[in-house]
Amino acid sequence: MGIRKFAMLGAFALASVSLPAFSASAEDVTISVWSLDRDIQPAPNLIKDFNKLNTGIKVEYRQIQFDDVVSEAMRAYSTGQAPDIIAVDNPEHALFASRGAFLDLSEMIAKSSVVKPENYFKGPLASVTWDGKYYGIPKATNTIALYYNKDMFKARGLDPNKPPQTWDELVEAARKLTDPAQNVYGITFSAKANEEGTFQFLPWAQMAGGGYDNINAEGAVKALDVWKTIIDEKLASPDTLTRSQWDATGTFNSGNAAMAISGPWEIDRMLEEAKFDWGVALLPVPEVGAERSSAMGDFNWAVFANTEHPEEAFKVLEYFVSQDDRMFKDFGQLPPRSDIAIPATGEPKKDAALQVFVEQLKYAKPRGPHPAWPKISKAIQDAIQAALTGQMSSKEALDQAAEKIKAVLG
Amino acid sequence: MKRILSSITDGRGFDIGLVSLPLAFLFILSGLPLVYNVVMSFQEVDMFSLGSFTRPFVGFKNYIDLFAQPETWPILLNTAIFVTASIAGQFLIGFGLALFFWVNFPGASWLRGLFLVSWVMPGLVVGAIWNWILSGDFGVLNFLLRETGVISGNIFWRSDPSYSLWAVIIANIWLGTSFNMILLSVGLSGIPKDLYEAAELDGANAFQRFWTITLPMMRSTIGAIVALGLIFTLQQFDLFAAITSGGPNNTSNVTQYWAWDLSFRQYDFAKGATISVIMIVFVMFASVVYVRSTRHEVRG
Repeated sequence: MGIRKFAMLGAFALASVSLPAFSASAEDVTISVWSLDRDIQPAPNLIKDFNKLNTGIKVEYRQIQFDDVVSEAMRAYSTGQAPDIIAVDNPEHALFASRGAFLDLSEMIAKSSVVKPENYFKGPLASVTWDGKYYGIPKATNTIALYYNKDMFKARGLDPNKPPQTWDELVEAARKLTDPAQNVYGITFSAKANEEGTFQFLPWAQMAGGGYDNINAEGAVKALDVWKTIIDEKLASPDTLTRSQWDATGTFNSGNAAMAISGPWEIDRMLEEAKFDWGVALLPVPEVGAERSSAMGDFNWAVFANTEHPEEAFKVLEYFVSQDDRMFKDFGQLPPRSDIAIPATGEPKKDAALQVFVEQLKYAKPRGPHPAWPKISKAIQDAIQAALTGQMSSKEALDQAAEKIKAVLG
Repeated sequence: MKRILSSITDGRGFDIGLVSLPLAFLFILSGLPLVYNVVMSFQEVDMFSLGSFTRPFVGFKNYIDLFAQPETWPILLNTAIFVTASIAGQFLIGFGLALFFWVNFPGASWLRGLFLVSWVMPGLVVGAIWNWILSGDFGVLNFLLRETGVISGNIFWRSDPSYSLWAVIIANIWLGTSFNMILLSVGLSGIPKDLYEAAELDGANAFQRFWTITLPMMRSTIGAIVALGLIFTLQQFDLFAAITSGGPNNTSNVTQYWAWDLSFRQYDFAKGATISVIMIVFVMFASVVYVRSTRHEVRG
């Protein structure tokens, strides 16, 4: 067989493979989307609906695991195989934005009739912002508040309609509710040595005038002292230091803790598991009238800078945003927007709880944004744990954290 | 050309070909990543330069920075304690069990096989189970200790800085004991029975027989087990992830977990690589012990 014959055969084989692919998408532009959403969550369903509209844009979806989002995205980007659109956890957003890996959407947003920055809660919007420009669009949001067991409040002579408002009241209530004989702790939360610990502590520091760039502020030291009191007096389980938020709230559901600091993702599980009357209150503040603050979780949409179809990718995002009012109804997630009312679910406990969470969202602040957030977070986690285990005083621990964070901030 | 071809058919070149295949395999899959890791520890690496090899060299900066961090020495010490205690525990209990089953009572080999169950379980599963056992408020271990009157109040194994490292060590000993036991059983069965008969005739008691026959005959097995134990315990990662996450405040953090945390949670790949290099030194030491301990083995 001559070389030419061989080459022709090869060409024919290639053509036969690629022809059908061509004809199917002759005019369609293909946009790939990566997110961690499972089939009952927004991304795959919204994409299915979008593809039905036949807009000339075909969206492909790939689900990635939570732990792999950043490393997969990094690898894909550095080898030029990044998707057009990705969903990233909000504290990781700045990491990509600051390095130009995400597309600056500011101009497109300015022209858009669907995406309007003024519709968003401040926290989520800040998390997609870097250097005054928008590098993404918030996808969903959540925050933390105080769950409390109304039956236990009654049993201990506390008013179930007056949950603790300030830190002092919280500690006082926890003291009254703690009952070692019945295996009941006053409160449960997470101070774990991972992002969850930072997520739970940072709001406390922020309410008292601290912050990640000012972590050893007087108020933050006081906040950590309050945590230390709670752990030292065994108002919360010492295992708070190694328990995740999910596990911690589990002890609330089983009646082994009278209050829990956790997020709206627990509501459905609580309705199912908790055999008592419960309510939700805003996070207690240092003193009456003090500035409120809260943690902010969940993911953002972003377009990778090396996409070949920025316009089309933005159109897909616009579609996602236009469906934001379905976020809660169909998928149980809170939209990151203040202009969308959460519809009543018919479940009174759930509706009451959601109202509190939506109110709390107004005060939610993003972690960072900073490209080196994980390092800052690690310094904070170590400080929390050093203080709570009595290895250092709150002041020493936070001073050390401030030192480490200063090195990161440069 | 012809000479090369004929050398394959006459056997000599064939041998070289056979050897070079696994060597190439080893070099590509183990050697290159190892070298790459060492190079990375002298570079400034972040997630966006991860894909390219040309990165700014920073000399020993990563090493200097690492040792300037307050947690470094405690973590190295933790690693030493973890490795020593784990190996000692796994070996002593494993040896005890091996000797026990060596007596060969009815059902001994069957029971011995059952012990392997712990070895085939994935580390994360073992970690999750021990996580419950060691839980402070509702843990089984605390329940047992309390009921038997050993302790009066609960011990918070995972969250108390003075116990957290030991929580992982206990789980790791449980995990590794059966492997030690099997290897030691094999070593024991390799000792000729007539040695013991002769010793018994000469009037040696059980302890003397153990000290003068069993231990010396097991020397190479023990060396191998200790060396393998060092390698296995230095790889142990799942248990840390499942039980303590290295907390509280790094009191149960060890180099292998820290390297992962630095690389994949803080995205500081250069520091992660730097710690790995430090660990390579220890593993090399273990390999030397292993190779030396098996040097005297008779090969067939």
